[in-house]
Amino acid sequence: MTTVIDGREMQPPEPLQRILEALDTLVEGDDVLLLSYCQPHPLFNILRNNGYAWSEDVRADGTRETRIRKVSG
Amino acid sequence: MQPNLSFDQAPAISVPYRFFLVAPWFGMMAGILLAWSGGEALASRWTPEALALTHLIALGFMLQAMCGALLQFIPVAVGCNVWRPQLVANIVQPLLLIGTLLLVAGLLFSRPSLLSATVPLFLLATGGFVVVVALALWRTPATSMTLWALRMAIGGLAITVLLGSLLAEALARSLPLPILDLTDVHLAWGLGGWALMMLAGVSYYVVPMFQLTRPYPPWFTRWFGPLLFLLLLAWSSRLYFDDQRWSTVIALPLLLILSAYAGITLWLQYTRRRKIHDATSLFFRVAMVSILAFAISSAAFFLLPEISADPRSAVWLGVLVFAGVFVSAISGMIYKIVPFLNWLHLQRLGAPLSAMPNMNKMIPAEAMTGQLRLHVLAVVLLLAAIWQPGLARLAGVALAASFAWMGWNLAGAVNRYQKFRDQIREAALHR
Repeated sequence: MTTVIDGREMQPPEPLQRILEALDTLVEGDDVLLLSYCQPHPLFNILRNNGYAWSEDVRADGTRETRIRKVSG
Repeated sequence: MQPNLSFDQAPAISVPYRFFLVAPWFGMMAGILLAWSGGEALASRWTPEALALTHLIALGFMLQAMCGALLQFIPVAVGCNVWRPQLVANIVQPLLLIGTLLLVAGLLFSRPSLLSATVPLFLLATGGFVVVVALALWRTPATSMTLWALRMAIGGLAITVLLGSLLAEALARSLPLPILDLTDVHLAWGLGGWALMMLAGVSYYVVPMFQLTRPYPPWFTRWFGPLLFLLLLAWSSRLYFDDQRWSTVIALPLLLILSAYAGITLWLQYTRRRKIHDATSLFFRVAMVSILAFAISSAAFFLLPEISADPRSAVWLGVLVFAGVFVSAISGMIYKIVPFLNWLHLQRLGAPLSAMPNMNKMIPAEAMTGQLRLHVLAVVLLLAAIWQPGLARLAGVALAASFAWMGWNLAGAVNRYQKFRDQIREAALHR
């Protein structure tokens, strides 16, 4: 299951808060999809330090898709 | 909910705050100086008072705030930290503070020895800052136009300080240098190569994030920085051949790209889906309108030299660019950065999300918009005082009051941070 968080119309720190809440309940096999207009480097540091992996994609309209999943083990 | 996640990349909150908390009080000093000096101060850009006012704003307010913001912004925007940010801040910030006070005193009281004394201070402070920031910006694996703009901006700062040091020595020792042309080039690099380049680079990242706009068009972010840099290099050639037609040929495209940046930012604000009218958006709007007013005025002065013969025309441009553009944009940014940093650093203490104070409570919205109104009034009075010198003291009082209000708002935000931090620590002890 994918939890989608559209951060494009949220003011910081709301997207980060929503992501943190979603990560709390994320189980292996599921993922969280963040839509934003900028590269969320603070989030990347949190993910890197807490055992999550992510991939990025950029849409034609400039929207960045950051897909987050739990790393097994 | 207890996220319990690591936020170790951000520098200590004291790093940006020691710059931010000092900056508005330099602005207040500028207002007091104008109120004390009266209308004569604005008669020309070369009066001792005008030179002192310019450097109180450019170094005291802008450089302090921008250095603090950059130390905080680099980890957020490009995902790397500068080398020992706390140590860098502890050395750079007091050196800038002392250097600015000495330089302003040297310009105001025409004391060559003070001008000379500031040179090693600024070379050490900004030289060290440029080196550590440049290393961080070149070692990051990130790739974005924000990163490239910041790299060029830090180069612009280095050029500005070198030219400024040369000018200080030339004035102090009566060196046979083209002071007027050197000043124009120093000013162009300071305002364009450093301040505007950084503002644009930061805008690419934070305008969509904080003002909820679409991103800047890629063609614009790709070309704006390099074009600005090349045009500033071309502008610097006036040191070797001073031809008014050549200056006009360089200045007009320069003004065109400034207008493009302002026009696109206003357009992004206008076309955003969720309209927010917080202080930051409004401060940015004032800054962008001021850029357009600056560009139109400058173009008129270049094309109609009989207007620019009046020395007050340069003061008009100075007020627009310093007070209208950069004080507005930097104030708007600080009002967004400080509440966000409060939140981020309280979060680092491991508080449950449900116990976290709302970011909007860090600085009351009415206090920020009230200060914005006073700032706009101060800018209008400053512009009017150029042509009606009787208004200068009132403009100075308005400027001083506006900066003092900002300083008060920021001090209040720090108090709130400390209060919430103590509450969270106490709750953790009783858990």
